[in-house]
Amino acid sequence: MLAGCSGDRSILDPAGQAAREVAWLWWGMLAFSTLVLVVITALWLYAFRGGRPTERSSRDEKRIARRWIIGGGLLLPGLSIVVLLAFGVPVGQRMLPLPLPDGQQAERIEVIGHQWWWEVRYPDAEGGEVVTSNQLMMPVGEPVDFHVTGADVIHAFWIPRLGGKIDMIPGRTNVIRLEADVAGVFGAQCAEFCGAQHTNMQLHVEAMPRDDFDAWLAERQAPPEHSDDHQAARDTFVEHCASCHRVAGVSDGQQGPDLSDIGDRVSLGAGRLAMEEGAIGYWLRHHQQLKPGNRMPSHDHLDAETLDDLGAWLETLSP
Amino acid sequence: MSRLALTHPLHLVIGLTLWSLWFVAIYGGLSVACAVAPPAPEQGALTAINVVLGLLTAATTALLAWLAWACLQMARDELGRPRFVAAVSAGLYLFSAVATLFVGIPVIGVPPCL
Amino acid sequence: MSDTAQTATPQDPQRLHEDMHEVWGNPRGLKALTIVNHTTLGLRFMVTGMVFFLIGGILAMLVRTQLAFPDQEFMSPEIYNQVFTMHGTVMMFLFAIPMLEGLAIYMIPKMIGARDLVCPRLTSLGYWCYLFGGIILTSSLFLEMAPDSGWFMYTPLSSGEFAPGPGSDFWLLGITFVEISALSAGVELVVSILRTRTRGMSLDKMPLFAWYILAMALMIVVGFPPLILASIMLELERAVGMPFFEVAAGGDPILWQHLFWLFGHPEVYIIFLPAAGIVSTLIPVFAGRPIVGYRWVVVAIIVTGFISFGLWVHHMFTVGIPQLAQAFFSAASMLVAVPTAIQVFVWLATLWLGRPVMKLPMLWVLGFLIIFVCGGLTGVMLALVPFNWQVHDTHFVVAHMHYVLVGGMLFPLMAGLYYWLPLFSGRMPSERLGRWGFWLTFIGFNATFLIMHWTGLLGMPRRIYTYETVMGWDIFNLLSSIGGFVMSAGIAMVLLDIALHFRFGRPAPQNPWNADTLEWTTSMPPSAYNFASLPRVDSRHPLWDDPELPRTIAEGRHDLAVIDHGRRELWGSDPLTGKVREIIHLPGNSWWPLFASLALAVVCVCLLVRLYPLAGFATLVAVGFLLRWSWENGAHPKAAPDAQVQPGDPPLHSRTMDGPGLWAMSIALLANGSFFLSYLFGWFYLWTVSPQWSMPDTSPLSLPLMVLAGVALTAGTLWLEKLVRGLRRQDDRGLAPGLFAVTALGGAQLALLIWVIWQAGLEATETAHDAVLLLGLIYVLLHGALGTILTLLQGLRVGYGYVSAEAPFEPAVVARLWRYNLVVFWVVVFALAAMPMWLGGGA
Repeated sequence: MLAGCSGDRSILDPAGQAAREVAWLWWGMLAFSTLVLVVITALWLYAFRGGRPTERSSRDEKRIARRWIIGGGLLLPGLSIVVLLAFGVPVGQRMLPLPLPDGQQAERIEVIGHQWWWEVRYPDAEGGEVVTSNQLMMPVGEPVDFHVTGADVIHAFWIPRLGGKIDMIPGRTNVIRLEADVAGVFGAQCAEFCGAQHTNMQLHVEAMPRDDFDAWLAERQAPPEHSDDHQAARDTFVEHCASCHRVAGVSDGQQGPDLSDIGDRVSLGAGRLAMEEGAIGYWLRHHQQLKPGNRMPSHDHLDAETLDDLGAWLETLSP
Repeated sequence: MSRLALTHPLHLVIGLTLWSLWFVAIYGGLSVACAVAPPAPEQGALTAINVVLGLLTAATTALLAWLAWACLQMARDELGRPRFVAAVSAGLYLFSAVATLFVGIPVIGVPPCL
Repeated sequence: MSDTAQTATPQDPQRLHEDMHEVWGNPRGLKALTIVNHTTLGLRFMVTGMVFFLIGGILAMLVRTQLAFPDQEFMSPEIYNQVFTMHGTVMMFLFAIPMLEGLAIYMIPKMIGARDLVCPRLTSLGYWCYLFGGIILTSSLFLEMAPDSGWFMYTPLSSGEFAPGPGSDFWLLGITFVEISALSAGVELVVSILRTRTRGMSLDKMPLFAWYILAMALMIVVGFPPLILASIMLELERAVGMPFFEVAAGGDPILWQHLFWLFGHPEVYIIFLPAAGIVSTLIPVFAGRPIVGYRWVVVAIIVTGFISFGLWVHHMFTVGIPQLAQAFFSAASMLVAVPTAIQVFVWLATLWLGRPVMKLPMLWVLGFLIIFVCGGLTGVMLALVPFNWQVHDTHFVVAHMHYVLVGGMLFPLMAGLYYWLPLFSGRMPSERLGRWGFWLTFIGFNATFLIMHWTGLLGMPRRIYTYETVMGWDIFNLLSSIGGFVMSAGIAMVLLDIALHFRFGRPAPQNPWNADTLEWTTSMPPSAYNFASLPRVDSRHPLWDDPELPRTIAEGRHDLAVIDHGRRELWGSDPLTGKVREIIHLPGNSWWPLFASLALAVVCVCLLVRLYPLAGFATLVAVGFLLRWSWENGAHPKAAPDAQVQPGDPPLHSRTMDGPGLWAMSIALLANGSFFLSYLFGWFYLWTVSPQWSMPDTSPLSLPLMVLAGVALTAGTLWLEKLVRGLRRQDDRGLAPGLFAVTALGGAQLALLIWVIWQAGLEATETAHDAVLLLGLIYVLLHGALGTILTLLQGLRVGYGYVSAEAPFEPAVVARLWRYNLVVFWVVVFALAAMPMWLGGGA
């Protein structure tokens, strides 16, 4: 049974307190609901049994009917929802981003949904803001406040194994507090339908010990070094890509994902294609087939070799 | 005269209409209050907003409960169609009262604007 | 009044039938398009609904095919998005609601002992609007430009920027068009149930089905206008650029969600209530005893009708609303379990105390029970906020809503169709093929959707077009797809069974299920007039009390069995007691509803292809048709020129002050009021909550001018009321000049309003603030214009002799509109002009 519940997006395989409490709520509600359903169905079927004495006074009938209606129609749902709220409301309360005791600060991570990729920002990182895309690193064992918004349409931020989701709405910033109790990799996917490539808007989430997390941030704050090996590819990039994409020290485009650490990521196209040698070149040639409708124009006007070189250079961008 | 009026079919909808108005008032009031003057999160659930909403809830519940009781008395004295209307109205008022109380209970423990 | 109808001399039923048929019968050939009869139109609604059901079902199978295996490329993402959007849209708007409306249109007059609905031409208009709207909407699929933003069309995804093609326009215009049909059905069902029940059928003796439909119809009347408003706003944003939902201009996309779900949640109960009404009708019949707890059921119906309007935010628990507000909606959502549970246990107790038999319709009722209770239980789970945050927008929700909708609507509908088949066709369904159909549907349904809960819990979001094997969802999706195809086979078998029975079913005996309600006293299939004479009703079970009713009705031994006057007559009765008050005479077949809806269809298509001048022209044509239609009324020669009635009978309604038209106007204004309140909600919502709302420090509207316009309107209203009071005293002196003077005052109000709009210089395409103001001003302007034109027509009708002290009821109807306009106008003055002045724009 438990094996059937696992999966990197399974609500029933929780890796955080919020998700764990909801999973327990689910199992409790499932057990109770099953009982109710079975009993009601059995009663109905039993009512169809034939050949029984039906001589009852109308007073008796009234009494029996009232017993059913009050017992089943009022008490059963009434008590059930009171019990349910008694368990459920405190669970919800504990998920609120209330101020932490002893002046602690929750780690703040900003996540911005775009059609169809994720922008992730660490504004409070010591030593300056860190920006990345389609991957989210977070410290394990401490509360993290995610400040989320949408850049174009409404998206939704959801890491199923950590806890509930929150919508990313243009013009508003919503906050959700999540905490991972175990280090590891979690799947995440945009949950609110956001257009043609809603499906391929996935986020790679990794929870790691605080030290590793700080180191990860620090790596990205170091000034970029660009060797001269790929000068031609860089020129291509500046000519064709720079107005949309940022690469630290090279360009400052804001429309597409930040590519400063793209060589370090596990996938391309927000989860569409696994990262391996030559993957970026392949992506650049075929991205409109791999992720039809995505906002990057196709590069048919550039020859395959140029694109492969460009990909090879981008793959070196790894802090 | 007022006892007569309790068999009027309008009572079939007054209770839940009051419930609806109360519901709009607390939801609208809460939204406006949180947009205009949100209390500090440290205050928890002990804020002026909660108190006002709680008082409104209590008053509405009391009114509906009283109407339920009055209709029930009426139903006891009547027969036929007037009894039907008064009894159904009593049930609806009672449900409205319980619904008001039940929906309003969270103001006791939940901070208003988070 | 003759209470002695029972003893009236029996007439020759055949002769009476022929005479009645002369007046009520349907024409053939091309003229069949003019039919207004509720039996015919009810069937048309249901057959059309079934066609859309099949279209929606095919779309569902396409979805299941795509998802059967991982990484499938059966459909491109664009097509897939269109397919699931249209599946939801077609099933909700073109199948579920019209189908149940059709059933109600067909059934209600027969159940309450009337010969037709009270506004037969409106039924016809409703049908054509439904048909044309449905065709326009589904045509988008074949043009491959169907809406693709999901069936709830969230902005900004559906807005001009992110959905530039015509897909969203198809949705907005088509759905609004179809909603005209829902609203017209809603209005006339309410008035019919309240005012045309047969003699003696007081409120507490109505069949429960009529209670359910009354609640449904009122919910349509109140619940649909928010969506109509939202659709109009979004279409204005797309077509003209009025930025209601655009953050940068001060709008808010969340407003769309509020308005949509303000409609969308009640809609679920609009679908469920009639279905539950079917169950409450069938169970006593097959248990062979009256339902226990009639009063409990009435309480449950009314509670459901109201509470369902307080739940809408539970579709929006993840948009970031304060948790206290979420708690309100969470609790209210759970409360709705109470009336539902009351009904489930009323049904159980009825079976328990009766001697139930498991005929085919009951099998579907049992299937309903299991599926619906399961859906209700997951519904309570979803109402719990923390759990909702996890499973919202996953396949768990998809599974839940199919349990509720298919269990709560399709299964009872099938039960009802099988139950009433003998009435539709005069033949009995087969038990064997029907049982196969049931079991395949039931098993297939559960295989599809029970498993889908699990898929959702494993994290599969809804509306994705494919998934990868690593997610671990493969086997569950495959099983769901197989289940889906099994269910389709079951539905196909049911439809086959129904089709075959028209040819091979054995002829049904009178009252084949031994039912208690009046629809089984008609001939099978029913005649166009339902009842040759209208029986008196003294209990909730007229047919159990007097099994001879079908015969005595056909022999004309009850009321209104005279037809030589050539009028289509039925009783107008007191809404509470069921005492007879007047004779309602109904209009006959007419081309006007078809012409008017054709003109509206032209409007719709012109807006789609952005031919705005032509759309404006077609609108004028449509209004012209509607006004021309309204001309044949009251004492018009085509309506009821002479007022002769049988000695002892009450007067014709057109000769009283309280005709059904007044009631229809009031119910229509209820819908209108709901529309206006939704607008006010939008105004205050944007004002207080919209993130980038901006408002000038001084209102651009001239308060003095608006007050002056209000004074003109007030004077006109008071004058009109005075004229109506005169008519009430049978005094029609100065009626025509008075009506013309009121028209002039209306004209003055319009002129002042236009001045207000002109001098305000609103930049409605720049800011949401100006757009909302303009929308409100146009709303009052159009209402003022309508009131003015109708008053002018009344003045002319006095000249023709159609309105007078003898035929006085029309000015009272128009006066009600003026009263509404008056209230709305002053509210607009206060909310749009005065309040911003006092509070200042900074708030």
